[in-house]
Amino acid sequence: MFDYIKQWLAERRGTTLGNHDTDNLPEPKTAGDQPLSKCRLIVLDLETTGLNPQKDEVIAIGAVAIEANAIHLNDQFDLILRRPELDIRETVLIHGIGTEALADGHETEDALLHLLEWMNGDPILAYHSAFDQRFLEKTLKAELGYTTPHLWMDVAELMPAFFPKADIKGKGLDDWSELFGLEASERHHAAADALVTAELVLVALNQARKTKVNTLKELTDKLHYQRRLQNMKRLQ
Amino acid sequence: MDLTMAAANPENTPQNNRAIMAFLRHHAPFSSMDDSHLAHFAEHATLSFYADGDVVLSPDDGMVQRFYVVKQGLIRGERLNKETGQVEPTFEICPGECFPLAALVGERPTRTLHRSAGDTFCLSIDHDAFVTLFSESDPFRDFCLRGVSSLLDQVNKRIQSNAMASIGSSNSLDTPLDRFALRNPIVCTPDLPVRKAVAKMHENDVGSIIITDDSRQPKGIFTLRDLRTMVAEEKAPLNTPISQLMTPNPKSLPTTADAFEAAMLMAEHHFAHLVVVDEENRLAGVVSQSDLFSLQRVDLVNLARTIGTAPNLQALVSFRTDVSRLVDTMLAHGADSGQVVKIITTLNDITVRRVIELNLRQNDPGIPFTWLTFGSEGRQEQTLLTDQDNGILFETPEGMTPDDVREKLLPFARKLNDELAECGFTLCKGNIMASNPKLCLSEEEWDDWFQRFIESSTPQNIVYSSIFLDMRSIFGPEEPLKRLLNRVLERIRKNALFQKMLAANAFERKPPLTMFNNFRYLNDEKKHSLDLKRQGLAPFVEAVRVFALANGVEQANTLERMEELAKIGFFDAKDANAWQEAYSLIQAIRMRAHQEMLQNGEELTNYIDPDDLNPLDRRILRESFRQAQRLQQKLEVTYQL
Repeated sequence: MFDYIKQWLAERRGTTLGNHDTDNLPEPKTAGDQPLSKCRLIVLDLETTGLNPQKDEVIAIGAVAIEANAIHLNDQFDLILRRPELDIRETVLIHGIGTEALADGHETEDALLHLLEWMNGDPILAYHSAFDQRFLEKTLKAELGYTTPHLWMDVAELMPAFFPKADIKGKGLDDWSELFGLEASERHHAAADALVTAELVLVALNQARKTKVNTLKELTDKLHYQRRLQNMKRLQ
Repeated sequence: MDLTMAAANPENTPQNNRAIMAFLRHHAPFSSMDDSHLAHFAEHATLSFYADGDVVLSPDDGMVQRFYVVKQGLIRGERLNKETGQVEPTFEICPGECFPLAALVGERPTRTLHRSAGDTFCLSIDHDAFVTLFSESDPFRDFCLRGVSSLLDQVNKRIQSNAMASIGSSNSLDTPLDRFALRNPIVCTPDLPVRKAVAKMHENDVGSIIITDDSRQPKGIFTLRDLRTMVAEEKAPLNTPISQLMTPNPKSLPTTADAFEAAMLMAEHHFAHLVVVDEENRLAGVVSQSDLFSLQRVDLVNLARTIGTAPNLQALVSFRTDVSRLVDTMLAHGADSGQVVKIITTLNDITVRRVIELNLRQNDPGIPFTWLTFGSEGRQEQTLLTDQDNGILFETPEGMTPDDVREKLLPFARKLNDELAECGFTLCKGNIMASNPKLCLSEEEWDDWFQRFIESSTPQNIVYSSIFLDMRSIFGPEEPLKRLLNRVLERIRKNALFQKMLAANAFERKPPLTMFNNFRYLNDEKKHSLDLKRQGLAPFVEAVRVFALANGVEQANTLERMEELAKIGFFDAKDANAWQEAYSLIQAIRMRAHQEMLQNGEELTNYIDPDDLNPLDRRILRESFRQAQRLQQKLEVTYQL
């Protein structure tokens, strides 16, 4: 009970107790024959101060985990980073995270270590994942000197790969969400966006099972094939 | 797990959990659950996706391990019919609804295959989390154990509290005293001996007498209580003039004062009677404590007696408001809709009988007849909105032809129809009334009429079956009708074609649900209205009539017919129960709507907009309509439609 209160007080103060084993962080997994139904997949969304990874910074991390084709709410990540020095005047209107929240946020180094441990080296999915990947890798390197690459997959590629005939207006998260009648409980909230993205991943995984895409390797292959197909179309 | 902990710091609840809690709060039983319990649900929730046609839960899965709530989409239940070998849909589960309750509580596999219809997301919690909620949350446990019927209780409670509010809203107590049926007070002059004054009170069966002067100004009041004191204390002999024993200068109120002021004054001074005077201080009447409180507690027996002995048509008309007030009171005291419609019907019957009696007194046509009533009145299912469907079955006296009889009876019937209209029974637009020569018939004529009705089986006849095959006598000898009814039932029992046509007609009346389980509205013009009578109740009434007539059930009342069909084993007892419940609920929602329209001074209709209902009522209405669909499936199977 005492530990629980300590933990609780710490969370109230905006910090996680720094008790990380930095030498033994989980090893990122690679795509192999592991069945998708047994994999734990991370679906992640970042809120940043802007669009440029060179100068902008991560301010919030939201993520949920998919395991056995379901999202488990007891296995999620929802943190605002403590970055009182950042200039967020331009983006505060989008993500709604104000200066005060940033000052109260979790210590960055601590939060990132916590994230790495929580992710457990599992594959990461995100919508337009290149953006999240660049920001996260940059931040991990700058704050922790951590450079081991994770396996990333782009949900923006995953959806058309399984629903090539879908009648959608654009290529955005909102377009796919609308197609399946999904709605983020709060748009541009990292965790809420991560949940909607994960819901789309569930839809895609359901289709994967029905089209005999059963392993992580088969899934990444399918995405590679999809990307080549897109490139060829572009060249024609 | 200490559930209070989670609720202590809502800011710490992750956004996604908060969103799930917000979703749950829109649906029963979660809407009545504590936040800490909803937080517990969200923390332990798992979200899964099922594409169209995926199996979500199967009898082959073994003991049920999880409790599910549909977040988006639709789940359909399927059961194999062992007789036909066909898969039949059993139920549909919409967003916010949960499954599988009975199997989870009974710790057994489900008996129904649960399949998703369209893209569907479900939230679920495991058995441990379910058990925690089950043991800690009363509304949740209640719901799990009693299912939808626990929701019915909530609806009934609300109907009651609404009716309570309308009574307590003192629309009775702020009635001005001059709108009361002020009793014409018994008066006497100041010089009358007490003995004679008391004799006068006794004759008129009242508890008070007002002493007035020549200009009808009240000088005093003398009550039974005064008499008691006088006798007990041997104050004076009985031949003393009353002026010496009365309470002089009695408290009075002007006619413009309201009932509430009168009640307060009486309570203050412990008076049982109060003098009411006009602008010139002349006696206008007396109001007693029981007059005031009868405003609030309309007593059925008393009202029935009052109506049954009403001296004239005007009095009968004035009692109609009492009937409405009585409905409020009955609902407030927890009467169910079945009881209330029967009470309304009873009072309507008494009113009809009284109208007939008063007319017989004035102008007896001298021919024995039975007054028949058809349709909803025949089924004893009348609400406040009711129109006339009646007819006459007469005995042809020696030496007269039926046409001779009609000549005498029709003008009499016309007058009855008109006077009933004055009492609030709207004239029938289709002229299904006793004053119509086609419906004023002898026993033989009625028998022929029904024989043709059944044998010709024209579409028109089928439509009329909902009226004429639900009949009852409310005045006159019952034997002729009983004989007639037995022959009608016998003919229908033998006529498979007629039964099938009735069934096909009943099957046409689809409950107002779309394929996607939304409400199907009346038409484009009335985009958001449902006709609770035609779309909601009629599918039950019509289907049950077919089964009742085909199985020789004599009752006309739909609930009684269902009861009887279960008793003879034609309906499964559980099914009959579910159908009775569903039917009663639609009726309850309809009656509540009527009471509201009445309070708002609107014209009574059977239309409601489901969007005006709260989510609980909407769901119950939908659930009730689904039961109607199941009843129709039985019709479909029985008559191979």
